[in-house]
Amino acid sequence: MLCEKCGKNSATTHIRSVINGKVTEKHLCGYCAANEGYSDIKGNNLSQMLSSMFGDTLSAASNIQLTRCSCCGSTFSDIAESGKCGCPECYTTFYDQLLPYFKRVHGSTKHIGKVPNRAPNTVKQSKDTVEELRSLLSHLVREEKYEQAAVVRDKIKKLEGDAQ
Amino acid sequence: MSYWYSVSAPQDNIAVSTRIRLARNINGIPFPSKMSPEQFKTVNEAVRKAILESSTPFAKTLKYIAMENIPEIERFAMVERHIISHRFASNCQNRAIIISEDESICIMLGEEDHIRVQVLLAGLQFEKAYDIADHIDSLLCGGLDLAFDERIGFLTECPTNLGTGLRSSVMLHLPLIESHGEMSGLADSISKIGLTIRGMYGEGTKALASLYQVSNQITLGISEKNAIDNLKIIASQLIQKEQGYREQLNRIRLEDRCMRSLGVLKNARILTSSEMMSRLSDIKLGLSLGLLECRALPIKLIVEGQPYMLMRKYGEMSPDERDIERANMIRNLL
Ligand SMILES: [Zn+2]
Ligand SMILES: [Zn+2]
Repeated sequence: MLCEKCGKNSATTHIRSVINGKVTEKHLCGYCAANEGYSDIKGNNLSQMLSSMFGDTLSAASNIQLTRCSCCGSTFSDIAESGKCGCPECYTTFYDQLLPYFKRVHGSTKHIGKVPNRAPNTVKQSKDTVEELRSLLSHLVREEKYEQAAVVRDKIKKLEGDAQ
Repeated sequence: MSYWYSVSAPQDNIAVSTRIRLARNINGIPFPSKMSPEQFKTVNEAVRKAILESSTPFAKTLKYIAMENIPEIERFAMVERHIISHRFASNCQNRAIIISEDESICIMLGEEDHIRVQVLLAGLQFEKAYDIADHIDSLLCGGLDLAFDERIGFLTECPTNLGTGLRSSVMLHLPLIESHGEMSGLADSISKIGLTIRGMYGEGTKALASLYQVSNQITLGISEKNAIDNLKIIASQLIQKEQGYREQLNRIRLEDRCMRSLGVLKNARILTSSEMMSRLSDIKLGLSLGLLECRALPIKLIVEGQPYMLMRKYGEMSPDERDIERANMIRNLL
């Protein structure tokens, strides 16, 4: 099958969407699909994927339909329709239902990147602070603000002393 | 002031610019599409404090601006400079930005997520761009209760950004890969490894000025470093391929094409934005091969010749008037 947009390349991305009960299908090559914004790894736009897939989940577990996010009031079908969560809390409320879709979009369900460091007074925190102070120090020295620089230098010394 | 489009940079013959974007949100507040004006104020103020009142030296280089105080023409000129998104410029009520003087750092408050940190640099500079973004992120992490789940990472309105919330991208000038008809094949194979390539300007299959943006799509289950490394590998393969084609070219034919474009730009009295872009694309190609000389940077002219950028400089104009002003401006700068 040829791409219906450019008519030149073979269609590798097939998008099926249900809008107000009407089914429309698009068959595009990877290039045209990316240009039209269908650019996820599986060649599917998330909100369309969610709305076409959630139909099954919703009928299978009808009590999830009644659950509302306690923070923003979103229901699971709100999220399925828009493809977007209402607030961070939605991810906790509907975690189990959303998990399969994370897998489809990202090929994984486990975060392995940066972890925000927010516990105060941990070793890492104090290290960051020392680094911050050091860059402030070199900045002050460059600007020839030696009095302020001396204060910062003393702070660094004190922090390094505490860590040992 | 040197902006990303007005300076020469490492490897910018083909790689025009590098962008890093982080999506962050604050716990207990709905995402922007559901936020009240009071909640916008809360978010804007909290982020302003976390960044501008930190002791870090570069806080001094950043400025907080309410979007409603920026005139419409300037807002859309910022879109043309790739500093903010089109939807953010159109829907700017209650929104704000924190921006550096050279515009390389722009933090959008109230775009799709509460906080979008963007670092945009000329040429190929992933490490530097990521370091800056990460530094801003550490200020956010330290000063705010960011929405983060140990299992699925940073929480974002759209699950496609979940995890690292990192989108890294590079803008490449690929006229010869394009004229070899390889773009769609490349788009297919690139999408299989979790990246995407699309035209930077224009719609449909033809990218104006042969400028393409390659970016990572996967944000969950991959570290920031790996995502950026993957993109770097693909970018360098594309650069090599484009370079290879450039070296095989029939020089006299190419020289003819570039000099013709230079002739048009130096003499035209009316210049549409799409003609300007394809002619300047030829000039950029010619410059990279030493086929011609030109005192202005083609990318700078491309950016400054966009409709809102012209109106920002010369006042409000109809499209026809812009085409004349564009021709004048380019003629004077070449
Ligand atoms: Zn196509
Ligand atoms: Zn919610």
